[in-house]
Amino acid sequence: MSAVNRAVLASERPRSGVSAYTRRQWGYGFLFLLPWLIGFFAFQLAPILFTIFLSFTDYTGNNEFKAGNFNIIGLANYKSLLVDPLALPSMGVTLKFALIGIPLGLIVPLFIALLVNSRRLMASSLFRTLFYLPTVIPVVAGTIIFNGVMNAQSGWLNLVLKGLGIADPPRWFTDPTWAGPALNLLTVWAVGNAFVILLAGLQSVPTELYEAATVDGAGPITRFFYITVPMISPVIFYNVTIGVILAFQFFVPALLIGGVSGNPQGSLLFFPMDFYREAFVFGHMGYASVLAVVIFVLTMAATGLIFYFGQRLVYYASGES
Amino acid sequence: MSKQIKLFAVIALLALILAACAPAAAPATEAAPTEAAPTEAAPEETEAAPTEVAATEPAGTEEPTVAPTATFPPPVLTGGEGCDPAATKVTWFVGLGTGSQPNDVEKEKAWVDNYNKSQKEACVLLNVVFNQGQNSYDALRAMVAAGNAPDIVGPVGKAGRASFQGSWADITPLADAAGYDLSNYDPKLLDFTKDEGVLVGIPFALFPSFIFYNKKLFDEAELPYPPHKVGEKYDGKDWNLETFQDLAMKLTVDANGNDATSPDFDPANVTQFGFFEQWTDARGIGSLFGGGIPYDETTKKAVIPDSYVQAWKWYYDGIWKYHFMPNADYQNSDQFGKGNVFSSGNLAMSHVHTWYTCCFDNSALSWDIAVMPEINGKITAKLHGDTFAIMKDSKNQDVAFKVLSDMVVSPELAVIYGGIPAVEADRPAFFAAKDEAAAPNKIDWSVTEEMLKYPDLPNHEAWLPNLAQSNTLLGSFRTLMDTTPDLNLDDAIAKLKDDLDAAYAAAP
Repeated sequence: MSAVNRAVLASERPRSGVSAYTRRQWGYGFLFLLPWLIGFFAFQLAPILFTIFLSFTDYTGNNEFKAGNFNIIGLANYKSLLVDPLALPSMGVTLKFALIGIPLGLIVPLFIALLVNSRRLMASSLFRTLFYLPTVIPVVAGTIIFNGVMNAQSGWLNLVLKGLGIADPPRWFTDPTWAGPALNLLTVWAVGNAFVILLAGLQSVPTELYEAATVDGAGPITRFFYITVPMISPVIFYNVTIGVILAFQFFVPALLIGGVSGNPQGSLLFFPMDFYREAFVFGHMGYASVLAVVIFVLTMAATGLIFYFGQRLVYYASGES
Repeated sequence: MSKQIKLFAVIALLALILAACAPAAAPATEAAPTEAAPTEAAPEETEAAPTEVAATEPAGTEEPTVAPTATFPPPVLTGGEGCDPAATKVTWFVGLGTGSQPNDVEKEKAWVDNYNKSQKEACVLLNVVFNQGQNSYDALRAMVAAGNAPDIVGPVGKAGRASFQGSWADITPLADAAGYDLSNYDPKLLDFTKDEGVLVGIPFALFPSFIFYNKKLFDEAELPYPPHKVGEKYDGKDWNLETFQDLAMKLTVDANGNDATSPDFDPANVTQFGFFEQWTDARGIGSLFGGGIPYDETTKKAVIPDSYVQAWKWYYDGIWKYHFMPNADYQNSDQFGKGNVFSSGNLAMSHVHTWYTCCFDNSALSWDIAVMPEINGKITAKLHGDTFAIMKDSKNQDVAFKVLSDMVVSPELAVIYGGIPAVEADRPAFFAAKDEAAAPNKIDWSVTEEMLKYPDLPNHEAWLPNLAQSNTLLGSFRTLMDTTPDLNLDDAIAKLKDDLDAAYAAAP
């Protein structure tokens, strides 16, 4: 290297040891990230921080948010959580929903994906479209349709059940025993996203693995559990993680069907619904913020646990796990 | 394996086609009218007339309950076209009660345009958020929190105002400053427009309740129509609870054509009901047997009035024992209008307020109105009264009051919202407009004025501590009655009392 080149490089190298070139690259990188960062700070981080702040106030939401219209009340809202008679039952509703919904939201789309992935299925692209179709229907519209479909008196589901000889089919949305499972069924209707992701996962499994296993005498069940499942385990892991997060946030169909009280008899009073009605029906913004923080913490904790334990079960072809 | 997959494909395809072509209803005795589904709604359990509701199934039992539409109109905000440049801008928010249906919005826009051109002081900006449950409440709350509170909100009832407790301006000093004479109004009406002792509006429109009845179903059953005058007999009998229930049972018909008085009647396959207490909460039902308030001012505790207990027991038996009223499953079925039961054409009688004319095809259905029966020796017709209120955060309260005082005497607005004008002289024009909408039906509107004489006192929308929460409990209690076949009603009432006590105790 000539003395001149050394001098140029030395002039571009700051005292910190980072070259001007590197700094320029960082600058460009930051510039390209900026739109996302602005969005993240303005619409994600700031509301989260603001919610945490609100949880220490007695703000009602009935006045403009400005000094004088609320007081800092320390941990009083957090103490209220301990004596809230609905906090635990509503968390129970959410957990019950999650316990049924997460496995269902994985098994059903996986089953459909396996069928649609079959080479023997005619018009597989038509079925891909049909199974994905419900996903593009707005959740409000879908819920209203299902409310009619599952009406105990005139819904076609019960008409079919009666036709099959079940004299007293479930009163889906008016019997507290059935209302929760009915919502689980409703969510199965829109498994299109999970289905498409799982189908993509299935299609990426190398066929030579199946061929080799078949030559070795492995049957379809063995191939499924020893080849398919491990090979698509990252996709399954992703779906489970998303499923847990969505289960903790599940809210809109329950509100549309059960109203803000989660009728019948509170069987649809999900934890986020409890938060929603405290905030927007009763005007207890401060306490509602506590509930929002609880949802946030629980979701984070559940996701963390899934990552901690779940990652060990995931097989990455690149050898990461 | 190949055959199995093909079979699965065929079954799946059939299921999808079936889902797409879901049957509309079980056989009905009468084709449902093709009226437009009502669209507006108050949030569940916040009984405010005239409002409708988004919630669909169990919530569909609470006031006012209409199956939501899958899509709803975007918010409307007019730009003050035609205003005088120097005029003060006054935002009028519509969404907590009636008035956000698309056909109402056009009329409201026309009123605003005319008003803005008629004077130079105020420039009214109309802001309508379609009321599909809670969304309009959320929108208003966001506006208030952001410091953009509208100046005028309405029409809004007591329950709608309760959701924004403490947000309303006291009208009295504004009226004094404007030299507005409030003594022209009946003091009872002024009291009715007070929240926690503060006058928050000027009496605008009254919504008495009465019996809407389907003439066609009476004709089919060859039964005489119910009385239009207090004191009239029905088929030679006193128009009392016993007569009323007997009539309602005769008008309740199953799929085999048996009525509810028949031993062969099948309650699992009802195609026509005799009566429905439409779009109200437990207090509204309780007031059938006389006005009351579930609160004792002295002890600050919940006290369930005897009249409420009796009414609730009668109502519950009407659904589950005598079957002349629909349970929640029937109410929300396709056959019974998905919550808007009277509009389905399969309900003979419904007890609702004047504002219900908003929510069914007034000219397609063959209908009229009748007086309430006498119960426990008295007649009670629960009353709603809506008004326009000024928000405390309004920056132009004086000009807003000027607009508000013009709104409450506007006959055009009274007609839009179906409320009988608080000023008697304005009523003939109001009824003439309603006649036009109901033609070819000839409605006996004298019933409405007759029923104004029998309001529920105390009113079923009267203030309670922690009103939003208390109303939620009372709304849920009705849903409980509508959805639970083997309910121990005494225990349920005791639990309601305990829950109300807790809500009252938690009042700010």
